[in-house]
Amino acid sequence: MDSQGQKYQVFEKERADLAHRNAGSVHAPDAEMALENARDVFVRRPNCLSLWVVPERAIFSKTVQELRDNAWREADAASDAPTETWLVFQKQGQTARETFVAHVGAVAACSPQQALSRALETFPNKNVFVWWVVPERVIFKSEDADAPSMFAPAHTKTYRNHLAYPVEPIMRELKSAQEMLDE
Amino acid sequence: MDEQAELQEFQARIARGEKIEPGDWMPEEYRKQLIRMISQHAHSEIVGMLPEGAWITRAPTLRRKIVLLAKVQDEGGHGQYLYHAAETLGATREEMIDALLAGKAKYSSVFNYPSLTWADMGMIGWLVDGAAIMNQTMLAHCSYGPYSRAMVRICTEETFHKKQGMEQVIKYARGTPQQKAMVQDALNRWWAPSLMMFGPHDSDSPNSAQLIAWGVKTKTNDELRQEFINKMVPDLQLLGLKIPDPNLHYDETSGNWITSEIDWDEFWRVVKGDGPCNRERLAARRQAHENGAWVREALNAYAEKYEQ
Amino acid sequence: MPNDSLAQKILTLADDSFILGHRNSEWAGHAPILEEDIAFANLALDELGHAHLWYELYQELTGVEPDRVVFFRDANEWRNTQFVELPKGDWAFSMTRQYLFDLYENVLLEKLVNSTNERVRGIATKIRAEEIYHLRHTSNWVKRLGLGTDESHARMQNALNELWASALQLFVPLENETELIDANIFPDLKTLRDEWQDKTVSHLSASGLIVPRVLEPRAISRAQHTEHLAELLNDMSSVARLEKFGVEW
Repeated sequence: MDSQGQKYQVFEKERADLAHRNAGSVHAPDAEMALENARDVFVRRPNCLSLWVVPERAIFSKTVQELRDNAWREADAASDAPTETWLVFQKQGQTARETFVAHVGAVAACSPQQALSRALETFPNKNVFVWWVVPERVIFKSEDADAPSMFAPAHTKTYRNHLAYPVEPIMRELKSAQEMLDE
Repeated sequence: MDEQAELQEFQARIARGEKIEPGDWMPEEYRKQLIRMISQHAHSEIVGMLPEGAWITRAPTLRRKIVLLAKVQDEGGHGQYLYHAAETLGATREEMIDALLAGKAKYSSVFNYPSLTWADMGMIGWLVDGAAIMNQTMLAHCSYGPYSRAMVRICTEETFHKKQGMEQVIKYARGTPQQKAMVQDALNRWWAPSLMMFGPHDSDSPNSAQLIAWGVKTKTNDELRQEFINKMVPDLQLLGLKIPDPNLHYDETSGNWITSEIDWDEFWRVVKGDGPCNRERLAARRQAHENGAWVREALNAYAEKYEQ
Repeated sequence: MPNDSLAQKILTLADDSFILGHRNSEWAGHAPILEEDIAFANLALDELGHAHLWYELYQELTGVEPDRVVFFRDANEWRNTQFVELPKGDWAFSMTRQYLFDLYENVLLEKLVNSTNERVRGIATKIRAEEIYHLRHTSNWVKRLGLGTDESHARMQNALNELWASALQLFVPLENETELIDANIFPDLKTLRDEWQDKTVSHLSASGLIVPRVLEPRAISRAQHTEHLAELLNDMSSVARLEKFGVEW
């Protein structure tokens, strides 16, 4: 391990009707600290209902461009590892926004390559630009019971919201006073 | 595909407004330029914690103390997001931090100026964060996905940084004689450094044209700087503050506020490591890193013993 | 209603949280790793926020504004324990102090959420949510540093040896505290201390650390301070006192 610890990718669920989406990553020595760091780095502001952290090395990732070359499929048959659940994430669309790939569902597979080919069959979508598959076993999740102490307090930190500093009305007032003087 | 065809497709994707993602083909120079830009940007956030961090203990009200601490903390968070974006290009955070500590990496020169009074907290918030936001709003449209996403998040969060600064400047500019003098003095010291934040003159900015062609930037340094000046001058004057530039004037034809030529000798001197606080800033970062070595070792040792 | 005793008690809670938050804010930009720089600032922000809530209640009881209480009192008027005013020391010292304080707050708040005083109950409920997370975070840190390397273990043990007797001051009751206990506004600190001690000893032992055999708090009166508090206050109020109280900043 280097001076910065291991790298974990962070998935954040911001609303009940939204999936977990990749918000960024944290460095941490272990999964528990990674989850806590994710809370402190990504939930300084609302909203968050749930966080997942995943060791980066456990993620199998391909962009649409990388998928054009089929060489990655060859490792597919070689695995004799047991079948397990893999979560599938997609980056849909090209608009600028804060988050990256979002959770869309799960497949059963015994290797990352198999998981990705099954994901491609199960969740076809022309508007996908990046695919991630992750074995569910390695995902460390916050629990529902954690939410009141981990996520809810962010709502009380109103000083992080620019609306707590109503400076525009003052500037507008000064401006109109100035204009009246000029006339 | 051969390199030429790859390059054509890359340019076509950028022209279509697509984001380039980690794993996608990109010219080696694009990768290098982005690592340079993003890591410098990350370092700026981290070093930028210091001039304001020094005033947290002296904030004059409970609210100001909380707000300043939250702002300095956000800057750490923004450095964190940016290191993440640079890591997706193959740089490691350890390498980037080592380069900073070794004095080999650049960061925004504005943080090499000292913060001398409390009014600097207001002026830094308005001028320095205001200038940063202009640059970052542009970069939120950057063609590289991870950088663009980091910028979207940072811009959203930083709006409060600027406004809390503005709130203070407005208050002090209309406050007691002592507060007025303090805030004018802060403007006198931070005006020029904040103009320098937009980087060298376009004619001395060899990477600009290429970065614009790659969709990393959409405006040149001088264009952004002029926008900033045009925005700031009337607002500061409205508050009765005097902009420290005897040659400042409004040009009716262009609709621009024209300032004196920036002191480029000073600019390059500070960039090259010889500003008022370069040594102090790096010494503080090195000390934090060295004092923390035993902590990081302990965390790793624990993880190796118990978590695997 | 024992209003004066209540105000005095609230002031101690506010002052402890405030001074601890102030001390911890000194780490901003200087912590051992970037993520923890952000995390520790959160703890400091929370403590300052909790202090603010208590100062507001103090204002309701006495009419004195929070910023006057914080920036225009001299050291002998402060009612925090010496435990929180000691300089931040190394990372082991700050982390151990925060952990011991978080555990104290957790056992206290668990009772205060049932206080017969509605305002106390309301504030305690709000604060407790955050303190539960604080304790999770600092407990994990104590365990990792206690069991990490020989050096981290030694530093943690030193910190604990230095802090323990000072921490016990948190459990020294005020003069008129029985009024508050009788009215079921505040719990009895004697029972709290037992609970706190059981929990700390159990977690610290599991973290390879030995609790010093000290039973007496280092200080009794909250009016007595180390020289560190005056220094802290001089620096802290240097800007606020450039103008008279009431000038807006």
